[in-house]
Amino acid sequence: MLSLASRSLPAGSALASASRNGTVQSVQVRGYAAPKGPAKIQKQGFVNKGKKKKFIQTVDPNKMKRIPAFKPLTANQLKSEIFHEDVKTELQLPVFRPDALTESNALAKVMEFPTQSNLINRFGVPKNLNIEYRILSKSCAVVRDITLTALDKLDAASASSSKDNRVVLTGSSGCGKSVVLLQAAEYCAGRGWIVMYVPRVHHTVDSSTAYIYDSRTRTYLQPRFSWQVLRRFLDVNTTLLQDLKTTKEFPVERKAPVQAGSPLTDLINVGLQDGSLAPSVLSSLMTELSRQKTYPVLLALDNFQALYTRTTRYRDPKFEAIKPYHLSVPRLFLEYASGKKTFARGAVVGALSEGRADFVTPLELCEALGLPFPRPAGPYVRRVPEIVDYSQGLQKLAVPEKLSIDEAASLFDVWNTDKALHSLPDDDLFMSKYSEASGNARAFVWKGLLATLTS
Amino acid sequence: MFNVLRQQARAPLRRAYATQGYVPPAAANNIGQSMIPRFKPRPVSPTFYTGLPSYFENVNTLESAITTSRNILQNLQLLPLPKFARDALPESTPVWKGKDELGFQVETKLTTARYRRLVGLLTQLEEFRKIADTAGCVEVAESIGDVTVLFQRENRDAVLAGGKKKPVQFDKYGRTYTIGRRKESSARVWMIPVQGKSQKPAAAAASSVPSVQAPLPPAAEVNESQNEATSPDLTPFLSPKPLAKTEEPTEVTATNIIINNVPLIKYFPHSLDRERIMRPFRLAGLVGAYNVFAIARGGGTTGQSGAVALGVAKGIVAHAPEVQPLLKKAKLLRRDPRAVERKKTGRRKARKAFTWVRR
Repeated sequence: MLSLASRSLPAGSALASASRNGTVQSVQVRGYAAPKGPAKIQKQGFVNKGKKKKFIQTVDPNKMKRIPAFKPLTANQLKSEIFHEDVKTELQLPVFRPDALTESNALAKVMEFPTQSNLINRFGVPKNLNIEYRILSKSCAVVRDITLTALDKLDAASASSSKDNRVVLTGSSGCGKSVVLLQAAEYCAGRGWIVMYVPRVHHTVDSSTAYIYDSRTRTYLQPRFSWQVLRRFLDVNTTLLQDLKTTKEFPVERKAPVQAGSPLTDLINVGLQDGSLAPSVLSSLMTELSRQKTYPVLLALDNFQALYTRTTRYRDPKFEAIKPYHLSVPRLFLEYASGKKTFARGAVVGALSEGRADFVTPLELCEALGLPFPRPAGPYVRRVPEIVDYSQGLQKLAVPEKLSIDEAASLFDVWNTDKALHSLPDDDLFMSKYSEASGNARAFVWKGLLATLTS
Repeated sequence: MFNVLRQQARAPLRRAYATQGYVPPAAANNIGQSMIPRFKPRPVSPTFYTGLPSYFENVNTLESAITTSRNILQNLQLLPLPKFARDALPESTPVWKGKDELGFQVETKLTTARYRRLVGLLTQLEEFRKIADTAGCVEVAESIGDVTVLFQRENRDAVLAGGKKKPVQFDKYGRTYTIGRRKESSARVWMIPVQGKSQKPAAAAASSVPSVQAPLPPAAEVNESQNEATSPDLTPFLSPKPLAKTEEPTEVTATNIIINNVPLIKYFPHSLDRERIMRPFRLAGLVGAYNVFAIARGGGTTGQSGAVALGVAKGIVAHAPEVQPLLKKAKLLRRDPRAVERKKTGRRKARKAFTWVRR
């Protein structure tokens, strides 16, 4: 039977060979079930299909190579640092300490702000610097010529009254005024000054904080903002404030007054416990600080021009705009800035913010500082006499428009080390972005380096 | 001998006309002046009897000059020239007078056909002059040239030089002044090489060749001079070795660009416009070498930035001509001809059509 079957099968068939070998495999060989031979390749290119032409391009399956399955690489094989996203590099920078700030050591170098002073953590920084310090692994800033000039001025001011040391940092948008102010505040904190740094002064006039009319002072108090200022001020300057004593009694409603001779921290705590007392506590605190001569006091205000706005965003019950000098906190700052109230030792430093559209530098402040006013302002344009009065005696400290090449190179180095650049960090990128920014610091970093993806 | 026979045969056929009338002596006493026959003066030129005597006079002169010079050149075995010699002749650049001017010269209102005929003869004559000049026959060439120069324009040199581009001029401070245009904008660009602190400022009577600041570490220069055949040594750029104590750090200068008295960053808030202007510097590798002052007028941001970029590219080529092929390859020296397409009748805008309606 088997031999009959083997004779009748085609010679080359699998079954035939199998039967010859003695093993029978169930492989069908007839018709539709026959194993397919080498595939026939159709004619390639344009082929007539009825009236139309059809383009045929097929891959020859005989020529197709067998693509092996892809397998992921092991961790040992992934040596390039591109794959190591979780490894965070920390910048190794010199610390911004007063003794390290000599011209030879520090000029055109990026220095990180010390964490011991707690200044940045507690007082905060302006919004754009906040974003920058979130991206960078360390809060740092480049030490420029103007920084050293400002610090020398502050050193000279530590012995004299703040009436003679009222300085305003000016310059075009993005040139580095806020950074210089922050460096000044950090320096003074390191030098043992009492520092009150208000990075966002415009919050006192843009109606973002609560206000309440006080008939005794006939001004609008801002209890929440005052409370915040007291809280932060206490946290940063605790040790120094414990040494200082009050000179006058501070009465407290339905409670024991704060006796004269008690530490200033007690006075501040009274304000912190009862938020409604915070504005008056703040006012008394500033009066006490202005009397004492133990420690110089720095009042550092960023977005300074907001204090001199003609009208704030606040409204009174008649829906008329409230003036800045009728609000407690701006009034306090204006009085110290104008020299009506002075610290026995210390300085008031303000930094303008030119890029803002909501609080532009007003005419009166421009005239006091000798800055050009963009609109025509002849003798027939009204200047508000109170604001003119508050802007008397302010000195201008112009921050240079351009970073020097060395300063820009240090900044470039920092951003490159922190892996923030998307492009190849060669000198072509540096020079072209520096030239495009015309030396402007913010434009160089934010519109140049971080906004570029060049080869 | 045959000539004499011919004349005798012709003699009886000749009629002798009396050209001079016979007047009997007695009749001559009372003759008025009008009766005395006057003899017509012979015209100066045989072309007198043509309709355009001066024109044909010139044509004849030129044709005879051609004939004469052809004979001379044939005698000198310069004609006919083989093809290779004819190809090797220099290109002739005659600037013939225009139809009106030539017509004034020949005292005839020239039609196109007549003008072309004259110019054809002049071209032929110029060809012979060229052959004689190339062959070194100075007298022949000069004599032919004396004829052809009468028919050439006086401002011949100016006309020949008209099509060529004028080279960019440098002023006494080494500044170039170039113009760039794009769309509706035009920019006037002044470029001056940046002088570092080590260099002294240029004197008022300084030469027009400025120096290019190309910051290179000293090691690279030494290597390049030694190994000219191999590729330049790039290791100083990749990992610069610390400078020796005696070495001064290379001074790095920056390119300052001011447009309409405003710094670049303020004038062009968009990075694309700024990068467009910086591109010629980057490709040439001359960022930080030149300061730019530009006055841009017309158009918008893209047009003005493109115009300034073109002016800058031209200025860079003027200062550093070796960079010209590179910028040309990058199409930075090309005035972008693209402009706003005009609106057409029957369409809403240049391309946008009105809504199609079936009926």
